Amino acid sequence: MHDHFPLPDLELELLRPYWEGAAAGELRMPTCDACSRLVWYPEEQCRHCGASSWTWTAVDGSATLFSWVVVTHPFLPAFADDTPFVTALVALDADPAARLATRIVDIEPEDLRFEMALQLSFRPLRFGGVDGEVTVPFFIPT
Amino acid sequence: MRSTASLPLPRDEWGWAEDYEDISGQAAIVGVGESAHSKASGRTTHQVVFEAIEAALDDAGLAPTDIDGLMYGGQVDPVDVAAFHAHFGTSHDMWESTEGGGMTWAATAPYQAAQALRDGKATNILNSFGVTWATQRAQMVGGPGQSHAAEQFKQNLEVPFGWFPQPVYFATVARRHMHEFGTTEDQLGAIAVACRRHANLTPGAVMHDKPLTLDDYRASPYIVEPFRKEDCCLISDGAGAYIMSTPERARDRPQPVVEVAGVGMGTSVTGVHFAQQPAFTSTPQVYAAPAAFAMAGIDPGDVDVYGCYDPFTIVTLMQLEDSGFCEKGAGGEFVSGDTLHFDRGKLPTNTHGGLLSHSYVLGIAHVVEMVRQLRHDAAAQVPGAEIGAFGGFTGMNAGTLVLRRS
Repeated sequence: MHDHFPLPDLELELLRPYWEGAAAGELRMPTCDACSRLVWYPEEQCRHCGASSWTWTAVDGSATLFSWVVVTHPFLPAFADDTPFVTALVALDADPAARLATRIVDIEPEDLRFEMALQLSFRPLRFGGVDGEVTVPFFIPT
Repeated sequence: MRSTASLPLPRDEWGWAEDYEDISGQAAIVGVGESAHSKASGRTTHQVVFEAIEAALDDAGLAPTDIDGLMYGGQVDPVDVAAFHAHFGTSHDMWESTEGGGMTWAATAPYQAAQALRDGKATNILNSFGVTWATQRAQMVGGPGQSHAAEQFKQNLEVPFGWFPQPVYFATVARRHMHEFGTTEDQLGAIAVACRRHANLTPGAVMHDKPLTLDDYRASPYIVEPFRKEDCCLISDGAGAYIMSTPERARDRPQPVVEVAGVGMGTSVTGVHFAQQPAFTSTPQVYAAPAAFAMAGIDPGDVDVYGCYDPFTIVTLMQLEDSGFCEKGAGGEFVSGDTLHFDRGKLPTNTHGGLLSHSYVLGIAHVVEMVRQLRHDAAAQVPGAEIGAFGGFTGMNAGTLVLRRS
């Protein structure tokens, strides 16, 4: 595990464009050069068409709420300061087969609804006891 | 044999079944054994696994020198050939395979074993699996979460957002299943209650002395909504083992013959990345189970007793649907009432208590129980059980094993 776990590892080459995009306020996603679907997660092949090359492209940050849970018990010590929080999977409007694991904020958990419209909100992620901060995509109600 | 798919998959498919040759009737399970199962015990993995192996040898009436094939899989300190020889003081040549162990492979190991038996590579093949994660848990090392946190995409794209570990993943799945199909918490509770009842009847089950009613379940606080602790499997120390041979040799043994009738294995195209799994509320049993039943020449309705890998109640529910015991989405209604109960249910399931209430040995104890059921020697015995099936699972793949009393 890298030094700043559970912050994202900015040294990981494979995802560097993702975090650079986030730092610039953009959702950049790997887009298949052959079929234009999102290659997510960016592994060896696009699972939709089998091609092996993609280009990181800024995409619209609109999404819908696919599912979520309210975490009240910190499963890692680093999460202790944040509980209770909503962790969720959101389906991107740009390609609903691609889901982002994310935090839903600025809304009471009891107001969450399946398929509700969400929009990106980049926030600084920090954990107690861990050095550093990374700008990451959270989601808020549209 | 195709072991990875070529992309793209046919439309609407999200995984594939392994293209297995027909090995029906070419192997039998001749011995089963398990260790004591407990909360943190201070034992090592080798200690618990050898306890199970010795019990299996005793059950089969075999000596260590009779074992000439060894299977194991991903676990801390597996019993491989070197460890086997070091423990028993043996030195003979052995066929060895890493396609064994627990989880999916507790179901599929008999496939490779049948091939090895047929090809004359071995005559008595041992598969074993054990964990001592209850003992290790205090150090917050090892255990089911750690391997997931080490995977690069989970580590960087899921863990930072709190989408971790398994109780969170599967609570997310359960909530989505409830949304898509109307599944209720009481229906998940019915699974927990059936498994606990079975464990209360099974000697050696970790929850043997702890009854659970549906009211108890409802009153139990959430761990991560909608899951209560009773929806989540035990963490315990223990091991299981089983020995396979040909049906001909099985007939020489004192126990009734339990033959391997069918094996199937299915894999999800998104592997361990459940967050991206297209059929989010399904398991690769949609690919594994039909293949196993076809090899065995049976329909799901022919199964007298079922076992499935149950890290969470929702995983049992989905595997029941995906294996064809009921329609997709009808799992909640299917498990309600007495359906899963050994003595009055339409499909007795996890008759030893499962991972939920028996022990956390990742499926190998389910196979041990299935063999006992088909020998008519189980604690919560299903009357006249002739055909049993076990669904093993590990998220990225699943296996189904069909056994038949012969």
